[in-house]
Amino acid sequence: MAGVFNILLEGLTGGLVSVFKIALIVIPLMVIMEIAKDLHILDRITDMCSPITDILGISKTSAFPLAVGLAFGLAYGAGVIIQSAKQGNIDKRDLILMSVFLVCCHAVIEDSLVFVAVGVNGLWLLTIRTVTAFVLTVAVSRIIAVKHEENGSSESDNDTMQ
Amino acid sequence: MISSDTFKRGAKNGIDTLIELTKVIVPVYMIVTVIKHTPVFSFIAGVFSPVMKVFGLPGEAAIVLVLGNLLNIYAGIGAMASITLTAKQAAIIALMLSFSHNLIVETAVSKKVGVSIFLVLAIRLGLAAATGVILNLVL
Repeated sequence: MAGVFNILLEGLTGGLVSVFKIALIVIPLMVIMEIAKDLHILDRITDMCSPITDILGISKTSAFPLAVGLAFGLAYGAGVIIQSAKQGNIDKRDLILMSVFLVCCHAVIEDSLVFVAVGVNGLWLLTIRTVTAFVLTVAVSRIIAVKHEENGSSESDNDTMQ
Repeated sequence: MISSDTFKRGAKNGIDTLIELTKVIVPVYMIVTVIKHTPVFSFIAGVFSPVMKVFGLPGEAAIVLVLGNLLNIYAGIGAMASITLTAKQAAIIALMLSFSHNLIVETAVSKKVGVSIFLVLAIRLGLAAATGVILNLVL
């Protein structure tokens, strides 16, 4: 019985430690985001990313959550996505495309370095992973676009907004 | 412009986000820890070890992939150190694990964002399997 208790305790502490690590990044990140918004820097940054977001077929506002997920990890990116979704800045289509990209490719710095430690070429790993995620996201975005056309005009209002 | 309100909003958003993530991560992490203490891993590894040939990997590599996928990359790498691999095999495992790892926790987080569990798993496991097979052929 004590064994089961210890295992549950180990799980609880492990979970809380992960959450604490996320807090150390997410809270400052959200503050920086609000500052960037108030100084209108965020708009300029998202404008600069527009060539990339255009290719991926997502709206400009998705650039920030994508960048966070790529740099820090899936949970961090997801945190920003949840927050943006609450504020109504992201539609369902963007949500799916961002998730497709991020589940394939996230925390690229940490994940690549970890494998460098066991003798694998990190740059090579990073390149294959990023390119694959890019190609897959573009493909899914085209598939969704085709489906939209087939569904007729009922949902096409969303497209004209972009 | 920037006021104390900016900081308050940022901190509030941060804490709100954290609460959302905690609700997912803590319970899922506990479940994963319980699984870690059962023979589930070696059982699954036994089932998958014949499949490893498709990726040009030895049968023992199954435990590396199972640990990496159900726990995290670090657990996978820990197991990697305990078996003998060629440079090519190490590269194949690294690429497969970089696409698909920590599936229980990360899928739960993705679900929170609103994507289907099936889609996430299909993409990640599909990419890992496909790149594993391709790398084995080209390298």
